[in-house]
Amino acid sequence: MKLLKPSWVNHNGKPIFSVDIHPDGTKFATGGQGEDSGKVVIWNMAPVLREEDEKNENIPKLLCQMDNHLACVNCVRWSNNGLYLASGGDDKLVMVWKRAAFIGPSTVFGSSSKLANVEQWRCVMILRNHTGDVMDVAWSPHDVWLASCSVDNTIVIWNARKFPEIVMTLKGHTGLVKGLTWDPVGKYIASQADDHSLKVWRTMDWQMETNITKPFSECGGTTHVLRLSWSPDGQYLVSAHAMNNSGPTAQIIERDGWKTNMDFVGHRKAVTVVKFNPKIFKKKQKNGSTPKPSCPYCCCAVGSKDRSLSVWLTSLKRPLVVIHDLFDKSIMDITWTLNGLGLLVCSMDGTVAFLDFSQDELGDPLNEEEKNAIHQNIYGKSLAITMESHLSSTIIENPEMLKYQQERQGNQNPNGAQGSGPENQTPKLTNVLNGESLEDIRKNLLKKQVETRTADGRRRITPLCIAQLDTGDFSPALFNSVPILPGSSASTQLTPQISSDSSTANSLVYMYVTSYFPALSQPMEPMKALDSRFTERSKATPGVTSVPLTIGITPLDRVKDSSSVKEPKVKDETSSDSEDKIMAKPLSMAKRKGEMEGAEVVEKRKKGRPRKDSFIRTHVMSVRIKDKTKEPSRLITPVAVLKLPTPSIQKSFSTQVSTDAIAYLEVENEVSVVSGARLSQLKWSRDGREWDTLLTSRITIATGSSDIVAVACEDRTLSVFTTCGRRLIPSIMLPAPLAALHCSGHFVMVLMASATLSVWDVQKQTALVKNESLNPILSGTDATVSQSFLTQQGVAVVSLSNGKTYCFNSSLETWNLIADKQDSLVQCADFRNCLTSQDALGSMGPLALTQGRNLSAGRLASRLSSTPHHLQQGMTLAFLENQLSSALMLLSASEYRHWLLIYARFLVNEGYEMRLRELCQDLLGPVHKSSSSSWEPTVLGLRKRDLLTEVLPVIGQNLRFQRLFTEYQDQLELLRLK
Amino acid sequence: MAKVQVLNVAVLDNPSPFGNPFQFEVTFECMEDLPEDLEWKIIYVGSAESEEYDQTLDSVLVGPVPAGRHMFVFQADAPNTGLIPESDAVGVTVVLITCTYRGQEFIRIGYYVNNEYMDTELRENPPLKPDYGQLQRNILASNPRVTRFHINWEGCAEKMEDSENVDPAPNAMLPPSCTPGKAPPLGLVPDNSMDCL
Repeated sequence: MKLLKPSWVNHNGKPIFSVDIHPDGTKFATGGQGEDSGKVVIWNMAPVLREEDEKNENIPKLLCQMDNHLACVNCVRWSNNGLYLASGGDDKLVMVWKRAAFIGPSTVFGSSSKLANVEQWRCVMILRNHTGDVMDVAWSPHDVWLASCSVDNTIVIWNARKFPEIVMTLKGHTGLVKGLTWDPVGKYIASQADDHSLKVWRTMDWQMETNITKPFSECGGTTHVLRLSWSPDGQYLVSAHAMNNSGPTAQIIERDGWKTNMDFVGHRKAVTVVKFNPKIFKKKQKNGSTPKPSCPYCCCAVGSKDRSLSVWLTSLKRPLVVIHDLFDKSIMDITWTLNGLGLLVCSMDGTVAFLDFSQDELGDPLNEEEKNAIHQNIYGKSLAITMESHLSSTIIENPEMLKYQQERQGNQNPNGAQGSGPENQTPKLTNVLNGESLEDIRKNLLKKQVETRTADGRRRITPLCIAQLDTGDFSPALFNSVPILPGSSASTQLTPQISSDSSTANSLVYMYVTSYFPALSQPMEPMKALDSRFTERSKATPGVTSVPLTIGITPLDRVKDSSSVKEPKVKDETSSDSEDKIMAKPLSMAKRKGEMEGAEVVEKRKKGRPRKDSFIRTHVMSVRIKDKTKEPSRLITPVAVLKLPTPSIQKSFSTQVSTDAIAYLEVENEVSVVSGARLSQLKWSRDGREWDTLLTSRITIATGSSDIVAVACEDRTLSVFTTCGRRLIPSIMLPAPLAALHCSGHFVMVLMASATLSVWDVQKQTALVKNESLNPILSGTDATVSQSFLTQQGVAVVSLSNGKTYCFNSSLETWNLIADKQDSLVQCADFRNCLTSQDALGSMGPLALTQGRNLSAGRLASRLSSTPHHLQQGMTLAFLENQLSSALMLLSASEYRHWLLIYARFLVNEGYEMRLRELCQDLLGPVHKSSSSSWEPTVLGLRKRDLLTEVLPVIGQNLRFQRLFTEYQDQLELLRLK
Repeated sequence: MAKVQVLNVAVLDNPSPFGNPFQFEVTFECMEDLPEDLEWKIIYVGSAESEEYDQTLDSVLVGPVPAGRHMFVFQADAPNTGLIPESDAVGVTVVLITCTYRGQEFIRIGYYVNNEYMDTELRENPPLKPDYGQLQRNILASNPRVTRFHINWEGCAEKMEDSENVDPAPNAMLPPSCTPGKAPPLGLVPDNSMDCL
């Protein structure tokens, strides 16, 4: 055992009443008396643990100090998940603190100490209810509740998920309540008070389970605290100050029947604090000796007013160690490190001591599984759910894993947004909040601030609200005592950040940490749900690149936006509602004439509905293909009915084809009549280069891609030219009049009026799809074809007016549903927590094009959150798997990768190990080559192992999967070496 | 806990000629919406000897104050030279910024102020009657002295029983050790203070 008294841990000589080590073991908090207030200090653990860190001046010792408590702080306790710190003090308050993600140190304004706060912890909640000093606080297992006890004789159970809601006030003590402890199984909470009693309360109904008075009847109410403790196996409860034969003891109370037959004896004065080691131990196996089954045991530290500390093992009759004269005054609090080998003790004399044990001394700690097995044996229920909260105690077994964990933490802290986008986003965002930086605002504050006179003639200034509360995190360090001097660049200190709150990592809501600055002339807006507003605002803010999702823009809208031809009609018809209305009637008519020839139907309809024709015409004219942006070229051609309508023939029209530069196709029908034949002219121009060609029939549709130009004529012929005007193939005779024609790369897609589809690769001169009927997707529905396009990879996609979108897979020869706007999976899937800002921008492709608004629908639906979690989880999983397979079907590599990463992140977050393993296995493939293996090393041109390399860091973010991570990391490394 | 926390006070236009108005840019944070205004005051301590010479330069109401972080610039005219004892015009004195809520002072921020002649000739041989036009005011912005008081934020009817609530000024501030009889009642003069010695 090693003993250290770090002299630098002090409250300037004032008493330290409480100490608690953070669950991750990197820091600890002390609470006590400050200058003229209560004081909470957060210290770095590293300088306590290692001498070299203590000497290294670059390693901060003090991380943060908070003097918000108005009077002495009696207790500080970290939540089990480590996100919160609760403190209770003589000012009757319980404060809940949370780390504010923020870079840079700051000082408390006007504090005498010039030590900067390295970390920013801010009070997120003040719990007011007690009418007297708060003596002890305790978080329940899983951080469901927070209990506080007070000299007002009550214990308040706060709902830790919904502060400041009070679950229950436990009344029954008739004296000052000075200690609290939760049963590790979560069934009870025990309290000890000056009324010579220890009471155990049930968490089920918050009624008293038992009241133990006998061991305390001789006690005088002379201790400042009575911190009792429950053993980690739940079997024993050990009290503070009890008496046995007029000697001070710590009473052991057995869970079984609440028997009080044993106690820890030896201290000369009252026991103030008892603290069980969080670990359960078993005997250290000596080398060579046969492993004997030994009973697991617990370890307990007892501190007393006699200034000494004793450490006991439940397997030994005598204390393991007793340290006398450790302090000048009473011991006030004890805390163990989570690994069970370290111990911090604090005293009224204002100092702390650190004890470092070895495994030889204490024994082998059981791991979480063994501990859970014990719980399961004893209580029939495992604390496996605590796995999550105890994960932080898991030992990181792999250096790579450690790296990812650290990177992740690094990401969370300085950059805020988890898995945040490019670093350069942060400064961009900050200085342009509402187009005005804080610096600018400060410069003009005096001039701009609103000053009025009250009725009695007094000056009244309306302060400028620069941040609204609960935006997550803002820090006092934004403001230093530096007035703005002309030309000074205080911008480094005045840099607000964007951050996603680390605790809300599960709900990826983008927030401005420093909030926003309302324009000075505007009246203050009341507090609102900031998240939604901020996301809205971020779109409007110039220079903001991290628009969370480019949602709410349907493909049709985009076309409208980008179209240079702005005809008012186009707008009408982009709404699918109006389309449906228009198309409803032709449909029923077509059904009646189902057996008739397509051409005939079309002709008849033309007479009856001239309006329809003009509708199509406008569309064809406003088409633009974008190749440059890697978007698949697309043409939107609304066509109706199983026998699809054909566009009418116009005298002349032009089409814009955007390739590298914008190209135009101009068509003029019947330019001249030569020997009785009517000639039509097709003219192509780009950058001043142009060519034209003549066709003998009137042209109905002309379209082009970066490589080819395709023209369909009235006489059911299809001609294909290169972009230089050379005819590639002799006219193709189509079996039916053309309804829609698309080009993309070297691919040509035709939808014929007979509702059949063909796709050709004109370069290879092969048919990808041959006269495939649309019957499978159209039959049985009233739907009509609302849109069709061809992806860059030559996959034909057809959207129907009922919101379903299909693509035709030529190898399976099937129509596959790739998007469904009515799909309830889409409505309910919630994977926002798996999105990174990059993902949000990166989802561009045919799949995104067909789904458009759906994703936003899902996001909105998730807000309703009326669905139970497990159901939503399942729906999200199904949805993501759909997306993945759809992207595969569409041969959209970038989207496949996009959804794969989201999928992986979702699996990691939700803990689907089996699926994760399957995914990794598929990506890794067989390590050793075998001929029987049908494994493909690539998918959509992406190397699967490269994808795995991308997925692994995602897995590395969850410690629970570190074995999986290590396994695949190693295999991947192995393959790389080969 | 106090509902209002002062996060920073930046001293603007400093150092400046004696006759310039005081400008303090105050940043504070409020935990909850305040139903009533805050009242801020700038008090110029005319003489260390007596409170008699304290001048309230201005008082201003600040409101409405919703929960959140706010800032404003508090500007007040320079002290009335006629009220300053001639012997105390040059040298170190104090300016106080106080804030009260419902008539209860909960924070008091004190700054050392050094008034001296810019001209070396005048500095060495100061005129008997102070020449305020030649005086420069230098506020030691880097070293504010902040005293916080526990007040009742909920209502003014109930009187606070806390002893802390007794207005500590000016006797809460110890007489300085370095300038006997001359300097104002404020805490220890910091090392990097002006040449008041």
